[in-house]
Amino acid sequence: MSHEYVPEIATDREGNEHVVQGWQGDFYGGKLGFWMFMLTEVLMFGAMFLVLAYYNTLHPQDFIDASASLNRWLGGTNTVILLVSALTMGLGLLKMRVGDVKGAKLMIWATILLAAVFLIIKGFEWTAEYNHGIFLMHDKLLVGTENSLPFGQKLFFGMYFTMTGLHGFHIIIGIGLMLWLLKRINAGKVSQDHHILYWNIALYWDIVHLIWVFVFPYFYMIGAGGVTGGH
Amino acid sequence: MDTNTIDYKKERAGYYKVLIGLLLLTAVTFIQPHLFMTESNFLAQMLIAVLKAWMILMYYMHLKGEKLIIWMVWFALSIVLVFFIIVIGIDVANFNNAAGSYITSAPNAN
Repeated sequence: MSHEYVPEIATDREGNEHVVQGWQGDFYGGKLGFWMFMLTEVLMFGAMFLVLAYYNTLHPQDFIDASASLNRWLGGTNTVILLVSALTMGLGLLKMRVGDVKGAKLMIWATILLAAVFLIIKGFEWTAEYNHGIFLMHDKLLVGTENSLPFGQKLFFGMYFTMTGLHGFHIIIGIGLMLWLLKRINAGKVSQDHHILYWNIALYWDIVHLIWVFVFPYFYMIGAGGVTGGH
Repeated sequence: MDTNTIDYKKERAGYYKVLIGLLLLTAVTFIQPHLFMTESNFLAQMLIAVLKAWMILMYYMHLKGEKLIIWMVWFALSIVLVFFIIVIGIDVANFNNAAGSYITSAPNAN
């Protein structure tokens, strides 16, 4: 069974044939549409950062104390992993654009592997925090318990689990998209001449990376270096 | 726009240069709290993040030279700025129920 890209043909009144401009062929339109989608992502995470900033102004010292208790090395490792994965995704797209399909697929698998490692590290981190009594609706984040954290720290960790959780969910979706992309490449639907899907999934991966670029310092670094508030 | 008219080696070299830049900035993220702007940790961290974001947007997301998309991004961000920060900011600054709100009235509550 052939999987070659077959364009749709429309015939005008004079009998002339024209290639119908589908989403595969409308490169700029496809890209522009995806940028609009990404702006909705910015709106969603932007609102969360706004809430975070507001809570931070109410409880600056609690935010610094809570941040200082996070594992900076695990967060930093995940930062580097995402950074390298953005490179592998970009190089894969570059390889596809010059017709190296095998190399492009290899780079997608490398990105998937890095994404999985990111999630595993995040899983270890969350597990360690749970074992220390810090998790949503659990032990130290409950109101009125013996070990209960100060109110500002509760707000901090509430936002931390919400935002890193939502970001992790985006990573999982990214892995799904990359697997789908591999399927489309194998079916010949994505190729050197028709690579808008690859372009947009690479953009998606970059926005996931971009969000982490702000999530990491806000949660992990504001309490670093023994700062005592008033930031 | 023909995206296949590319100089592979040049673009690949560009990707690696950006990677090195981002890795260096990540290293700066770690050493900054001990080295400089220690009293303005939050500001320094956000400035580094903005710099990293700019590199990702311009080079990895190929925004460099994309006038229409850049205009669209700035327009959307301006709307976010106006509504989220100015409109909601004014509303929050003039919050009349601070005493009745658990979050604003219980800063030291456990």
